[in-house]
Parts: sequence; structure tokens; C-alpha cells
Amino acid sequence: MLETAVLSVDRVTKHFGGIVAVKDMTFEVQAGEVVGLMGPNGAGKTTLLNLIAGVYRPDSGRILFQGKDITRYAPHKICHLGIARTYQIPQPFTSLSARQNILVAATYGGKKAAGMEHDKIFDLVNLSEQKDMLARDLATVSLKRLELARALASNPTLVLLDEVAAGSTDAEIPRILDMTKQVRKMGKTIILVEHVMKVMMEAVDRIVVMDKGEKIAEGTPGEVMKDEKVLAAYFG
Amino acid sequence: MKIPRLTTLVSVAVLVVLALFPVIGISLSWLNYLFLFFIYLALANMWNLLAGYTGLICLCPHAFVGLAGYTLAIGTWVGVPFQVGLIAGGAVAALFALLISYPVFRMRGIYFAIGTLVLPEALKAWFNFWRPVGNEYQGMGAGYSVTGVAGVNLGDTYWLGLAIAAASIFVVHIILRARLGLGLTAIRDNENTAASSGINIFRLKLYSFVIAAFIMGIAGAAYYIYSPRINPVGGFNISWLLLPLMATVIGGEGIEEGPIIGAAIVTFLRFLLADYGAWSLLIQGIILVVVVAVMPQGIAGLLRQIGAYRFPLKLFQAAEGKIHKNSK
Repeated sequence: MLETAVLSVDRVTKHFGGIVAVKDMTFEVQAGEVVGLMGPNGAGKTTLLNLIAGVYRPDSGRILFQGKDITRYAPHKICHLGIARTYQIPQPFTSLSARQNILVAATYGGKKAAGMEHDKIFDLVNLSEQKDMLARDLATVSLKRLELARALASNPTLVLLDEVAAGSTDAEIPRILDMTKQVRKMGKTIILVEHVMKVMMEAVDRIVVMDKGEKIAEGTPGEVMKDEKVLAAYFG
Repeated sequence: MKIPRLTTLVSVAVLVVLALFPVIGISLSWLNYLFLFFIYLALANMWNLLAGYTGLICLCPHAFVGLAGYTLAIGTWVGVPFQVGLIAGGAVAALFALLISYPVFRMRGIYFAIGTLVLPEALKAWFNFWRPVGNEYQGMGAGYSVTGVAGVNLGDTYWLGLAIAAASIFVVHIILRARLGLGLTAIRDNENTAASSGINIFRLKLYSFVIAAFIMGIAGAAYYIYSPRINPVGGFNISWLLLPLMATVIGGEGIEEGPIIGAAIVTFLRFLLADYGAWSLLIQGIILVVVVAVMPQGIAGLLRQIGAYRFPLKLFQAAEGKIHKNSK
């Protein structure tokens, strides 16, 4: 039902010049779900996240958040409404400390109810040791966790995670799964773009698969992995 | 009574000492140097606020200075006393900033720079033929004298300059420690992340731009009280851009004390090279290039890096500790 969905993407299309990045994309996310967004490189996953976050404007179609049409909203307004996002390649505020980085999101993230205490956020993402280090001095692995911390600091309803596990070693994966579980326990809804299959399979309730800008499959991890179209998209 | 922090005490002490200069017989030429230093410092602080802290490379300070100066000058011709004209000048500059903000903020980075550079040139051309008061041409080329300032002596203008410089330091200090400062730094470091974290980029840039324009305008108008004759070439002269730019870059962009060091050097150079005409521009250009190549962090940046502040800071903290211990 469109009314109960936290997020409803309705026939969204986006061109860049002659290239169709996202074509007629339609799907819904219910409150409290963890939905995975999957697809080969160039499928349009990050573009879709950018459309939801307000960085790009759809050429056609609508995006509804908690029933409200946010299709033409600017990124800061979308943050105020309750959508937070991370970046695939970390984009921190380099001259600020980790603590100040999340303070920005907490200060400017909108007049919602007070979110988690910052120290607890740092515990969740396992950055407590590095709280007072400058972002420019942090390792990439820590910066990825800082992305999540900053997203949580604005107390969002919906969190868009863009390849939070990319480049992680096998040892780090359980930690990432745990973080996702904890965010979910906080009552938040998550859309997760991921290439690391272990995370994708175990963290999500449902997967939406894209290829060349279109949705080619949707279902539980088990269903999607057996889908012919999905296998064809990845393996030809 | 609560004893204020040592830094506050020292700042107030410096301010008081400087304020006493005209009455304790400091020479007129020194008052002249210091007045100009104060004006350049105010301009540099504001340029630093824009470039160093907001990430806006503003190339139109001379638009703000010229507009404010002309507001002051024309005001004195229509019965507006110069004291009001001073503030009105700042207001006109701020209004101008507000008006141009919408088009120029749509330009990013280098395009913003070029977009803002064009404006003072346009204003210069405009004021060459716009003569709202007075006769056709008074004295040399389309200029106006500032009337009603005969009673203002160097001591008075010196105090005005000191007040403006102090205000500019104070304003930057407050902003950096407030919410706005955090937001501006975020914008400077990463505009996209700032937006996705809820910052209204346009609005914060606007606040910064208008505040800077207002204070640059007041500083410019104060200059024209001190030197009460304005014409398009002088009012909209590119030196009003180059001086704060050099001061900020040499002193240290994005560092609070940078403009103070930079403005002192720029004032010094200006007087040192005054007799060399066109050579002075060349020399200043070379210095600028050398500084950017060798120490892009500026002198203040370099001082911080080599820990030059560590020893004085320790002394400071020790003294502060002693004072507060004895007061308990």
C-alpha cells in the first residue's frame, strides 16, 4: 500500500545526456525493512540512491517518503525529513574531527527528536578510539564507519547505505552485519547497496535487482539468487 | 568577582594600549600606518571568512568598498552626516551582496570568482557617468569629495579604524564558535556532504557573504572619511581586492590569526614600496607566488606547524592557572 510504505519510488526515470541511468524504476520499502539493492556495475544503484537523496532530480516519476512527495526536494530538506545517506567513497569534513563531523549532522540535521548520544554512536560503529582525531588523519576503513556515524547523527528514519562493506576483510564482515542489525533494532529502515554477497544475503529481508537502469527482479535473497534474469545479468 | 580568562584580559589590554596611542603622543605617521593597517585588517578578516572558512573566493571586495564609499560621499551632499553615511555605506554593500547572491552562488568555484570579478568593473563604469548630485565634473574625473568631515582629525579616524578592526576580529571569533562557523567549515570541506547532512548551503553562504560585505563596506567608508575624496578608479580599485587577498594568503587562509599577520606585512610592504610605483605591484606579485609555493599554509600556518605557539602557550596556561588558583 502506497500509504503505509516509508519510501515509494514510482516509475522514476533519469537520463544523463543520451544515457538512461534509471528507467521506470518502481519499488516500495516498508517501515523497519532492510531492503538490498543489487546489480552489476553501471546498473544505476548509486544513481537511484542519489535520486532518493535529492542530489539528482528525476526526469519523470515520483518519490514519496512517508506519503509526502519529495521528488523535487533539495538534499538538505530531505535530510530534515528523515533520510540520511552514506557515500560509497567516504566524503568526510576533512579539517574537522570525527566528533565534529557527526556534530554537523546532529546540529543541522533537522528538528527531530534528539537522536542517540554521540558517544553511543561511536560505540556502535566502533570508532570510540578515534573520536577526537581529524578526519583527514583517519584510515579509509575508519572513514567508512564515520559515514555511518554521521548518517545516524541526524536521527533519520530511513538510512541509505552505499557499499558500507566494500573493501572489508572477511574478519570485518560480522562486525558490519552487527552494525546493520543494531541500526535496524533502533527502528530505522535501511536501503543497502552492496556487492559483498555475504552481507547482502544475511542483512536484508528483501532484494531489488537492477540491470541497465531497470528492475529485473525482486524478492527474498533465496528467490533472487535463483532468478534466471539475475544470473544472466551477472554471468551473461 | 569572576576573573575573566587570560586571553580576554590580554586582548582588552592590547585594545586599551592601542586606543591610547593618539593621546600619548605617538607620531602622526604611525597613526597613519596603524589606521591603514586597521582597515586592511578588517578587509582581510572578512576575506578570510569568505575564502578561508566558507570556501567562497570572493573577487569583489572593491565593489563593496566603492559602493560604501560612494554612499558615504553622496550622502554628505544630501545632508546625511558622515556618521550615518558610514553605516549606510555598510548597509548598501550588504544589500548589494544580497542582490547578487542568487545569480553568483549558482556558480561554483572558479566561475563564482570570475562572476564576482566582473561586478566592480561594471560599477566603476557606471559611476563614471552617474552624477546624482553636484555639477558635471568636480575636480579630477567623476569624483566626489566627502563634505562635512573637516572637524575630524587623525586621532578620531584612528579610533574609528581601531573599532572596526576590533569588531572584525570579534565577529569572526564569534562566528567560528557558533553554529554558523561549524556549518561554514562543513561547506568549505565538502559541500555535497554538508547538504546531505541538512545544511542549507545557499542560506549559510548568504549569511557569510552579507556579513562580510557589511563590514568591508564600513571599513571602506571609514577609509573615505580619512581620505575624503572618492572617484571611480579609486573607489573600485582592484587594490581593494589584492590587499585583503594578499594579507589572507600570506598570513594564512582559514586561520584566525592569519589576517592579523598578513595585514601587518601588507601594510608594511605598501609603505616600503610606495616610491617604486609599478615595481611595487611586481614585487608583491612575486612575494605572493613565493608564499603560495613555499608555504601555502601561510605564516600563521607555518608557526602552528612548527609549534612556535607551544612555549608561549605553556607560559600562558601556567599564568592563567596561577591567577585562578590565587583567586579561589
